[in-house]
Amino acid sequence: MSTEFEPNVVAFLCNWCSYAGADLAGTSRTHYPSNLNVIRVMCSGRVNPLYVVNALQQGADGVLVSGCHPGDCHYMEGNFYARRRFTLLRELLEYVGVEPGRFNMSWVSASEGAKWKDVVGEVTKKAKEAGPFKQFRRAKINW
Amino acid sequence: MVNVDKLKEIARETISRDDVKYLIGWRQGTYGFRAAPYFMSTPEEAEELIFSPLCTNNLATYLTLAEKLPVPRGQEPDSRKVALLVKGCDSRAVVQQLVEQGISRERVLVIGCPCRGVIDQKKVEAKFPDVREAVSAVWDGDTVVFNLPGGSVAVPRQEVLAGKCLTCRYPNPVIADVTVWEEVAVWGSDDYVDVRELEAGSPQQRWGFWEEKFASCMRCYSCRNVCPMCYCEDCVLDRLNPQWIMRSVNTAENTAFHLARAFHLAGRCIECGECERVCPVDIPLMKLNRKLTKEVRDKYAYEPGVDPEAKPLQASYRPDDKEDFIL
Amino acid sequence: MDMKKVRKEKFADFLATLAEQKLYAPQKVGESLRFAPVTDSGKVELEMSNTTVPPKSVFFPQTETLYRYEVGNTEIQQPAMGGVDIVLGVRPCDARAQVIVDSLFGWDYNDPYYQERRKATVVGLACNKPCVNCFCLSLGGGPASTVGLDLLMTDLGDAYLLQPLTEKGEKLLALAGETVETAAAGDREAAESLHGQAEQMITRKVETAGVAEKLPGLWEHSLWQETANSCLGCGICTFLCPTCHCFDIQDEVEGLEGRRCRMWDSCMFKEYTLHASGHNPRPTRRERTRNRINHKYSYFVQKFGHTACVGCGRCINYCPVNIDLVEILRQVKEAL
Repeated sequence: MSTEFEPNVVAFLCNWCSYAGADLAGTSRTHYPSNLNVIRVMCSGRVNPLYVVNALQQGADGVLVSGCHPGDCHYMEGNFYARRRFTLLRELLEYVGVEPGRFNMSWVSASEGAKWKDVVGEVTKKAKEAGPFKQFRRAKINW
Repeated sequence: MVNVDKLKEIARETISRDDVKYLIGWRQGTYGFRAAPYFMSTPEEAEELIFSPLCTNNLATYLTLAEKLPVPRGQEPDSRKVALLVKGCDSRAVVQQLVEQGISRERVLVIGCPCRGVIDQKKVEAKFPDVREAVSAVWDGDTVVFNLPGGSVAVPRQEVLAGKCLTCRYPNPVIADVTVWEEVAVWGSDDYVDVRELEAGSPQQRWGFWEEKFASCMRCYSCRNVCPMCYCEDCVLDRLNPQWIMRSVNTAENTAFHLARAFHLAGRCIECGECERVCPVDIPLMKLNRKLTKEVRDKYAYEPGVDPEAKPLQASYRPDDKEDFIL
Repeated sequence: MDMKKVRKEKFADFLATLAEQKLYAPQKVGESLRFAPVTDSGKVELEMSNTTVPPKSVFFPQTETLYRYEVGNTEIQQPAMGGVDIVLGVRPCDARAQVIVDSLFGWDYNDPYYQERRKATVVGLACNKPCVNCFCLSLGGGPASTVGLDLLMTDLGDAYLLQPLTEKGEKLLALAGETVETAAAGDREAAESLHGQAEQMITRKVETAGVAEKLPGLWEHSLWQETANSCLGCGICTFLCPTCHCFDIQDEVEGLEGRRCRMWDSCMFKEYTLHASGHNPRPTRRERTRNRINHKYSYFVQKFGHTACVGCGRCINYCPVNIDLVEILRQVKEAL
């Protein structure tokens, strides 16, 4: 029996916009892929790039960081810092050989339940295309 | 022109000052083509000072490496300045430390030495293997002259200079209280050919390039310790709780370590190349750092360690920063 | 015991006779040489000065699982021990170093993980061309020292002379069968002359007599601060040292299972002596540098009767700031 590969995607959602947006999608009974493992953080600017690396190490096949639209940050400017940080991290990950599409970022506001559905669909699709992440997954070497 | 006598004179004057704790320079190493960092606290010690193509070490590291022990009760902290000699690349480290407020300007005295490029020891040792004696070297036009035991040999500098020097755009110190001799002409330019070559491959090819190199890392942390920009009091690599990167040595943890190290230098690396020079297992770390330097330059038109008034790249933003990959 | 030799064109066949066993030999990993399991005899690199990483990494791996555990199971699981049958291409200095490390791992507690690997046959490779910073002669070794070896190979140009030293060495030669031949009459002389020439090439010397007695009196000497000024506090000198054997033990947990493992640690690291209280008895690089030299040349001597240094020169070769052990020992001798 062959089963389709179901990726494991870790999503860091900001408390004020993206998490609320995902909530809205839920309460609106929107159907979207269930591959996401959501971790709520106070702001996308709070996400340490090491979290992303660590998620990939511990078994994520894709990572999403989602925050408020630029200008809408609850803390005024957190997402601006996050934007610079993750633009560079994405370049670095791809440079060492992580497939493009494993790391994603999105802006989803609290009212964008519909956009959230699209984002999840897109991120899951990309992770599925990239396949299981192997490069620096914590393998149990010598365990 | 490099005038070591003049440099020694300035060094003696500097060390004699009451407000200077010590002067950091270079002296001839104990064997082969080495120079060693040299801490001088009396004027007589300046006699051993050198400035030559052997002076690879970036001394700006020592500004932040010195341990800050608690001052015993009843004693005043030592507020004297630390004086140091800098090449062009080293001076950018000083500027970047100032930008990040890692050091304060009144605590350092910078003596600028316009530089015509330092050697890559590996290249020189390949050319002249098994040289036990300490060999001095000087610049002469477009060559580097090595005073080998059997006589002097001039080598075109293209053949022996470190890679970073061949693409150097800052041979003259960008910050200095004194500049010892006249500035030298900029001969290099940098179009990141090495980075572009690797970028052109597929993800599998790129991982193929890095995998074995990361796997061979012993995590001796010499790249971190030698880096003038790695000066956190409490490094994420040393913490046990939370321990983001495990201490065991394998491909996964080593890759996470190298990603963390490189990323922590994003927009901060001043390309002195020390990490790559010191690596005992020859991991091409500058290829990793320079990828981020290139992205920082292309995306944000930012160059670290040039303007002491600049803001650190990742502690600032522009509302219209590019975001073409964001969904 | 009869000497044999193996012609270089037959060397791959010779290695093939050992294929049944777990063989480690110098190979290029990434950009540098170290001992690694042999899967392709073509990759074995014997035309080298010495490996960057010493063969201690085979007997005492940088990271090693002591046992595993999981939630819901009170039993611990031990990993398979051993896994090393032959280590080939070990330089005489590194073989002597391993004997020094033996005294530590077989002292108050007989370390089973280490001892199991030490049962392996060690095949040495005499140095025909020592490096510039070798000073093994000063520490009782030499380019053809046989301490800690079961078999010594000497590169004669077109062949390797194989000189068995122990029963294990004999056994290995017996396995080799037709790939080796009886050494010719002149081969032994040729090898000895090469060994003699190699000794002549070693120019660095240290005077170790009296250092162990003198070091305690130099506790507050300025030389430690002077040396430590330029020290970066990295782990190159200790990780690459064939006798350095300090380790840390940590738990690594993932999900519901974990392992306890030990990994190399370095006395040059700040956190090596850091207490949980935040107090650090070796707060600066001065104390750490002093400890490194004292441990090698004083404490170890007091405990085991010999220095924990074999003069392989790695710490000098690879130190990024030219901290030179020979120079430090000279200063110790001269210090008042």
